[in-house]
Amino acid sequence: MSEQNAALLTLIGQEVNRILADKGEAPVAISADTVFLDGPLPFDSLDLATLIVALEGVTGKDPFRSGFRQFTKAGELAALYADV
Amino acid sequence: MKRHVIVTGGSRGLGLAIVTSLLDAGYRVSTCSRSLGDALPPLLEAHGDDLFWHQADIGDAASTEGFIQAAIAKLGVPWGLINNAGIAREGILATLPLVEVDRLIQTNLTGSIQTARAVLRQMLARGGGGRIINISSIIGQRGYTGLAAYAATKAGLDGLTRALAREVGRRRITVNSVAPGYLDTEMSGTLSAGQRDQIVRRTPLGRLGTAADVVPAILFLLGDGAAFITGQTLTIDGGIGC
Repeated sequence: MSEQNAALLTLIGQEVNRILADKGEAPVAISADTVFLDGPLPFDSLDLATLIVALEGVTGKDPFRSGFRQFTKAGELAALYADV
Repeated sequence: MKRHVIVTGGSRGLGLAIVTSLLDAGYRVSTCSRSLGDALPPLLEAHGDDLFWHQADIGDAASTEGFIQAAIAKLGVPWGLINNAGIAREGILATLPLVEVDRLIQTNLTGSIQTARAVLRQMLARGGGGRIINISSIIGQRGYTGLAAYAATKAGLDGLTRALAREVGRRRITVNSVAPGYLDTEMSGTLSAGQRDQIVRRTPLGRLGTAADVVPAILFLLGDGAAFITGQTLTIDGGIGC
């Protein structure tokens, strides 16, 4: 994993845990293989939308501006932001 | 702390009545229109920082985005959004130019979806809570000769209301429609005297509605008392649809 992707993954982890904290959930370790939905992470689709908004606010990037791009794992999302 | 509500199309007609009533009720209001008009300047003078106006055309995506961003920068993340901006184009569909159909859809439907999307992103980032009210129309429910494309956009708004209510309800954001009947505003000025008489005859309450008949429902839906009401269309039509 590149240094940029690692930094983005760290940022994703921070934002995910901020959202979880707002919901009263315990912090979790986020890795590149962490699945956002339908896995053990207590995350729903609106949490994911909130994460995307937060990431845009921090990075100034919107990888979805030109259309939806498929991702399921934290590492895949980091790669999308690195690609913008 | 006064709650901030964004109202699109607030320079005249129902939109202006909504803006005025919200200010009187203690809300801070951001509104937009293609031109400032005659009624907003004195309101801006009287209400100072509680009222923000921005020139915008809701039929234009970049202009709409600029308004929403400016409103949030000025008065903060909104508690509520009232999608009021709309246009009407009368004409038999077979001869209505496609460019007019596109304009109707862009302003009445796409523009409202865009504002809802932009405001929802902010509401979600804040942790939830909020109100979205779409001003649809009885025309979207019952139809009216010469208003097929307009009716489609207003029915679309009601569909948006129901779907979005399901989508964001778990974040305590409610989404409802208010569907006025035939109102005595500039937009109904194109009705002929015969059409107006026919509408009045068919209305159990025996008159056209006014903006003052509609605004109280909007104030109610914005308030804490309406926290458990979502996905609904409240028709305010003097009974013509019953």
